[in-house]
Amino acid sequence: MKAKLLLFSIAWLAFITVSHISTNIGFERFQKKVRVALTEERDELIVGFLPVT
Amino acid sequence: MTKHSDEGSLFRSQKFGDWPTVKEALISKEIGAVFILAPMAMQLRLDGIPIKVCYLGHRDGTAIVVGKDSDIHDFGDLAGKICAIPSRYANQNILMHKMMRKWNMEPDSIDLREVPPPEHPTALLSGSIDAYIVGEPFAAKAELGGYGRVLYHTKDIWEDFISCVLVVREDLIIDERELVQELIDGIAKSGKWLDEDQEHRMDAAEMAARGDYSPQSPDLLKYVLSKPVDRVKYTNLAPLKKDFDEIMELAYEIGVLSDRIEFEEYADDSFVKPLSELDWNMDKLASGNEPKSGGK
Repeated sequence: MKAKLLLFSIAWLAFITVSHISTNIGFERFQKKVRVALTEERDELIVGFLPVT
Repeated sequence: MTKHSDEGSLFRSQKFGDWPTVKEALISKEIGAVFILAPMAMQLRLDGIPIKVCYLGHRDGTAIVVGKDSDIHDFGDLAGKICAIPSRYANQNILMHKMMRKWNMEPDSIDLREVPPPEHPTALLSGSIDAYIVGEPFAAKAELGGYGRVLYHTKDIWEDFISCVLVVREDLIIDERELVQELIDGIAKSGKWLDEDQEHRMDAAEMAARGDYSPQSPDLLKYVLSKPVDRVKYTNLAPLKKDFDEIMELAYEIGVLSDRIEFEEYADDSFVKPLSELDWNMDKLASGNEPKSGGK
């Protein structure tokens, strides 16, 4: 019974986590964040400019 | 702007040649932010592009230039003359209309023509225009070339003049606040560093000219940053409602904007920090970018 409860809890936790990433963060962004945290990759932002003044 | 922030994030710049391409790049999320003209940012928002003005690029740094030996000595003398403007969406256009009102001139009393900024000095030299209003370094170029004379610096006719603003995609403002904050802190710290010591400005001119930042000569950039020293300012860059309301109202009245728009709809000043909280950690600047004189 305890094993079943533990398995159910783990499965529920995994389901909630995946749902949260999918709904609120997005997998692409999540993967990018993981790569930035764990590898040499940096957060990146491209800033455009329009030299018209 | 530096390539790397203190925190290690990478900020890359990308040059655009026209407004529609900027619009597409924002919609397709090819770029996260862009420096554009203030009224242009308002019109983008009116067109439904989800962006917000988060910071300014600089204050002042624009001048009305006439021929060195021309008979134009005050704004009234521009009546009946041809004056180049960078774009109808430029705040320089709004300023010309504001000045015409102040001098009780009709809105069409000066022939305002859109000319790409790099062509302003040569157009003046060739005599195809009588004057131009433009952001630096194209005003200084005619002065240094010996054929142009500054009629007015904007600092003398519209205090704390706003020209270009930093616009950020709204999804980044919501989802990537830390990254946007890094960018804005970097701009603010750079501006503070530039304005706190004239030697820093000279170093910056050298750096900009030798890198990929500017095709202009270091002498021209040094001139812009020193003659006079308050010709262009890089502090006081928070977007203020009163400044933008004035621009918006004038832009709407002269037909540049398709409608009125509230400041809160197109601006977000939540990233602005007091300058006392911001200083570069000079040891962390990317190698090769260190200025000679160092800093705080």
